[in-house]
Amino acid sequence: MAQAIAGTRIRPLDELDIGSIVRIDERISGIYRPEVWEHRVTYYLRRDPECSQVAEVDGKMVGFMLADVRGGEFGLEEPAGWVERFGIDPDHRGRDLGKQMFAAIVRQLAGQGVRSVRTLVDTRDAQVAGFLGALGFVPAPLQALEYGIEPGSTEKA
Amino acid sequence: MKVENVTLEKKYHDAVEHWRRHNFKDYELLLENWQKYFPTDENFCLCAKLELGTSDTVAVGDHAGEKKRVAPDQLTEEEARHLLAIIRAQASTEFGSIQQHAATIDRAPDDEDRFWVMRVMAEELRHGYQMIHLLLSEDWSHASGGTSGKEMVEEILSMQTGSHVLDAFNLDYDSFIDNVVFAAFIDRVGKYQLTMQKVCAYKPMADSMPPMLREEAFHLAAGVVPMRRWAQRAGKDDVFLSMATLQESINKWFPRALEMFGDERGGDTNIKFGFKDLKNREAQDQYIEEVTRMLHDINSRFLRSRFPGDAPEAIERALEGLESRRESYHGVAWTDLVRLPDRRFFRRKGESAWQMIGIDGETFTDVDTWLHYLAKHLNSGYMASRDLKMYADVLRKVAAGELKPEEASKRMPRLKRVGGACPCSKSVRWVVD
Repeated sequence: MAQAIAGTRIRPLDELDIGSIVRIDERISGIYRPEVWEHRVTYYLRRDPECSQVAEVDGKMVGFMLADVRGGEFGLEEPAGWVERFGIDPDHRGRDLGKQMFAAIVRQLAGQGVRSVRTLVDTRDAQVAGFLGALGFVPAPLQALEYGIEPGSTEKA
Repeated sequence: MKVENVTLEKKYHDAVEHWRRHNFKDYELLLENWQKYFPTDENFCLCAKLELGTSDTVAVGDHAGEKKRVAPDQLTEEEARHLLAIIRAQASTEFGSIQQHAATIDRAPDDEDRFWVMRVMAEELRHGYQMIHLLLSEDWSHASGGTSGKEMVEEILSMQTGSHVLDAFNLDYDSFIDNVVFAAFIDRVGKYQLTMQKVCAYKPMADSMPPMLREEAFHLAAGVVPMRRWAQRAGKDDVFLSMATLQESINKWFPRALEMFGDERGGDTNIKFGFKDLKNREAQDQYIEEVTRMLHDINSRFLRSRFPGDAPEAIERALEGLESRRESYHGVAWTDLVRLPDRRFFRRKGESAWQMIGIDGETFTDVDTWLHYLAKHLNSGYMASRDLKMYADVLRKVAAGELKPEEASKRMPRLKRVGGACPCSKSVRWVVD
């Protein structure tokens, strides 16, 4: 369901948003990578297009937040919402677009009976970590771990 | 969102399964490879899906504010007849598109494209199943002129490319390019129809729409994403794919897509009865705006690929000049991009039916000159088709004053092929008691 606040409109993702997402990502990262976003957007569209939301200002798509419902991974049987990727055009930050998109996603997830939303963040990225904190995300007991693989590890010890 | 899955009575479920064995031979292959191409996605279910918790109140029309109808006998006979025609047409499109896709799916240039289309076909099968559920779950006899549910199912399953309700589903695909452009253009009309029908005053119809729409979102991506990728390849002068080839397919499907909305002057009855919330022209206008954006995006992909060193802002400015002012950009002409034909181009139905109007709005008065023009803008396989032959024959009669345009429109399509019942040697019916 689309929602509008004075020139701002939050609505579900669709396939014609790919070009705008590529543009926003390029503005943020400096990298043009349409193949990546064609792949990711198609993934989210086939999962559930209403779980991912975009923000329009005066008819121009300026922000996106991609999410889906997953369950059964890492022993977590209860379905949970996962927010994987988001981005807001640098020219349109400070308007609470991220909050509005997230609120729409939460409403959608709640309608499906989902009780929690998860994401992963690099805590060294203060801007993203701060944004997620402002949305209400708090550290979870579930912890991301990693193990480094040394070059040459394919050789038998 | 909560959804109830419903399975048809066994003989009807078996009839649909039987139909798909004849018309969708890759179905088992798709299911075997589902997790490879669509990992972690829910497995495919051949069933009807009904959204729960939707509005109980009629949103538009004469009955706005009243309780939605839950059985056909709560509709007037005229309303029920009208809705029955919508359901029948919707069912025809779902099964029809599978028959079209099946003919050229093996020509997909890569397996991902092929399996995407297979998933589209499976979900269209489910949508057809959904419409059959609507026909069978209640008694429509007061609106069907005595035709039983079983007979209606038999009729739908017996349709072939050439005998479907809407013209877009009576055209053969000429190559895999049609599989993709069809998904981007024709499935998009499907999205509009399903979206408009979300308000339907007949609640089982309205409840059928959200699950179908969620699946339709992927169908549009299965058209748009390959078109974007082909535009990228065309930008690199790929010898196998060009923007001109894409344009020919757009020219073939766009006019039929517009006609799927119904005559531009109509649609009042759908609103009056509370079945849809937009008139035909309103929906068509929105659709045109949307496909214009789609082509702009595809052209952008082409230019970025052709000029990888140019800044995105420079490409956007160049595209604006190419599309709006027909300028050129470093040797690329506006005709090297894809564009939307004039909405009156190559129409057989609606307010510009049988007029000879070119892609850019130019008018023709001589039939032969017009047909030569069409030959330059449609692919040669399609030009040599039975559909174009019929079109030319009828057009000559219209131009000579021997046939009125509205009578001519009723003659299209007329490709009906012999047969239609189950081709199994020992069976002549799809539904077996």
